[in-house]
Amino acid sequence: MERAPVRAPLIKNLQFKVGLLLSLTVLLALGLVFYGLYARGLFEPTQTLNLTAPDAEGVSVGMPVSFSGFPIGEVKKMDLSEDGKVLIEVAIPKRDAKWLRHNSQFTLEKGLIGSARIKAHTADLRERPLVDGATLPLLTGEDPTDIAVIKQRVQTLLDNVVAMTQAEAPINRTLGHVETMTGRMAGEYGVLGGVMGSPEKARQVVKIIEQANTLMGNVNGISLKVDGMLAKADTQVFGPDGVMDHTRQSVATVNRMLGEVRESLKKADAILASAQTASADVAVITGNVKEATTDMAQLRVEIDDSVRKVNHLINEINKKWPFARDVEIRTP
Amino acid sequence: MRGCYDSRMAWLSDFLIRRGTAALALLRTWQGILRFAAQALIAASTPAAYNSATRMVVMKQIYFTAWQILLPFTLFAALLSFVLIQIVVSTAARIGQSDFALEMSMRILVLEILPLVTALFVALRSSSAINTEVALMRIHNEIDALEEAGVDTLRMEFMPRVIGGVVSVLALTAITSVLALVLAYLAVYGFQLWSLPDFTRVMGKVFDAAIMTGIWLKSLAFGLAVTIIPVAEGLATPRMLFMAPISVLRGMVRLFFVLMLIEVASLAFKYI
Repeated sequence: MERAPVRAPLIKNLQFKVGLLLSLTVLLALGLVFYGLYARGLFEPTQTLNLTAPDAEGVSVGMPVSFSGFPIGEVKKMDLSEDGKVLIEVAIPKRDAKWLRHNSQFTLEKGLIGSARIKAHTADLRERPLVDGATLPLLTGEDPTDIAVIKQRVQTLLDNVVAMTQAEAPINRTLGHVETMTGRMAGEYGVLGGVMGSPEKARQVVKIIEQANTLMGNVNGISLKVDGMLAKADTQVFGPDGVMDHTRQSVATVNRMLGEVRESLKKADAILASAQTASADVAVITGNVKEATTDMAQLRVEIDDSVRKVNHLINEINKKWPFARDVEIRTP
Repeated sequence: MRGCYDSRMAWLSDFLIRRGTAALALLRTWQGILRFAAQALIAASTPAAYNSATRMVVMKQIYFTAWQILLPFTLFAALLSFVLIQIVVSTAARIGQSDFALEMSMRILVLEILPLVTALFVALRSSSAINTEVALMRIHNEIDALEEAGVDTLRMEFMPRVIGGVVSVLALTAITSVLALVLAYLAVYGFQLWSLPDFTRVMGKVFDAAIMTGIWLKSLAFGLAVTIIPVAEGLATPRMLFMAPISVLRGMVRLFFVLMLIEVASLAFKYI
């Protein structure tokens, strides 16, 4: 069983095609290798930065260090120092080192999902630049091991929020009331409507205020009238022809009358003295007693007359003087 | 009772003999494959083995294995890459981890799927052909005839096929990988060039020296496997015509097994 010799079909430009494929392959392979090396930062001059942390949990070699969200370096090496702290060596390309200063802060942030990341913060870019080989602390922040506790707290918090946002929640009702009130405030009677509860009540209040205004106008008129009356009263009482003038005259009259009374009383004293003298010699005097007694009766009538006049005068004054007092002069 | 015992013992010893024979045959097959691999590699690394005739065969191999399928395979790989990248990117976005989309898709495609798919494609197309051809040459005593005529069959026929296969697999892997990188950039960042530094940073994270060496070693192993196993299998074919399909079948299954073994080994090396 002879097999026919296999003749390869004539291939056009076989060498060219294969050469092209091979050179393409070599080119791509070398390109990939160089791209990989370039991506690894092999052609990039770097400076080292040492970070110290109490705990390297979540830090891994190759982890990026970001500044404002941009990667500016990566963790090259991790080691334990003599005092048990973690030494993390970070390589930072020279051209990115300008974002870091001697007092830049580095924090390690861990999420629930995904790898941790080191973030750099520079507060003031005018500070001294970071030197090569500097050592700075890495702030690890809060320990996320008690996530369960946090979760529980968040759950409680969420429950509260749910309770607060329910349709019948007190805060919702309060907000409803506030809404009603502000709605009324936006109405015809404004804030008054909001406070009073309904437009009708607000209208009444407005009416009352209007009435009070009218009343105040009236009171103003009255007070003006009273002022006029007072002026008149002043004239009448203290004027040249007023009550006081009359009173003064009346008092003068009373004084005169009292002087008369005093004179009468002096006369009575004299009579009484003569009666005393007379009583010593009763016998002698008995004859005169009758005469004296007649004189006494006459005196009495005179005194009574004077007193009556005074009383009358006082009554007259009382009629004119408003501050009346029960004044009466009585003869004993 | 004793007869029953004897028959049982006979069955057991027969079973053991059969298993042992099969295992030895299997061992011998793998031994043959490894011996041929060693011979081919030694021949390939001997400069004296190359002359114009060898070079012509190597070129024809590369032409048939790589050039002829270059366009359709590149299109297929581009489509597969694009779909997979889109799946990874959208899934990552859905779980809120877009940062990892690019890295994940690159790890999946460039490091694992594309080399494996390339090897499988070449295996289906060229390895089966090589296996059939060598098996038929063996059945028709052509190999012996050539040897008697003073032709070094290893140098003239088999070693060029191995070299052609390896180069083809490497070339196709390189082309499709670079294409996948470009497609991934476009899928993640769109049609613009300003995100190149960002892309480069992620690539730097993915492709470290060990990974790069790993890809090339793996592709090399794939290339060797897709040619050495079918040639060795064809050479081991008994001289009976009806054994040709069986030889191809065995060769293909073994090849598939070896490819998967290489893949698993590379995965274990990378991630365990």
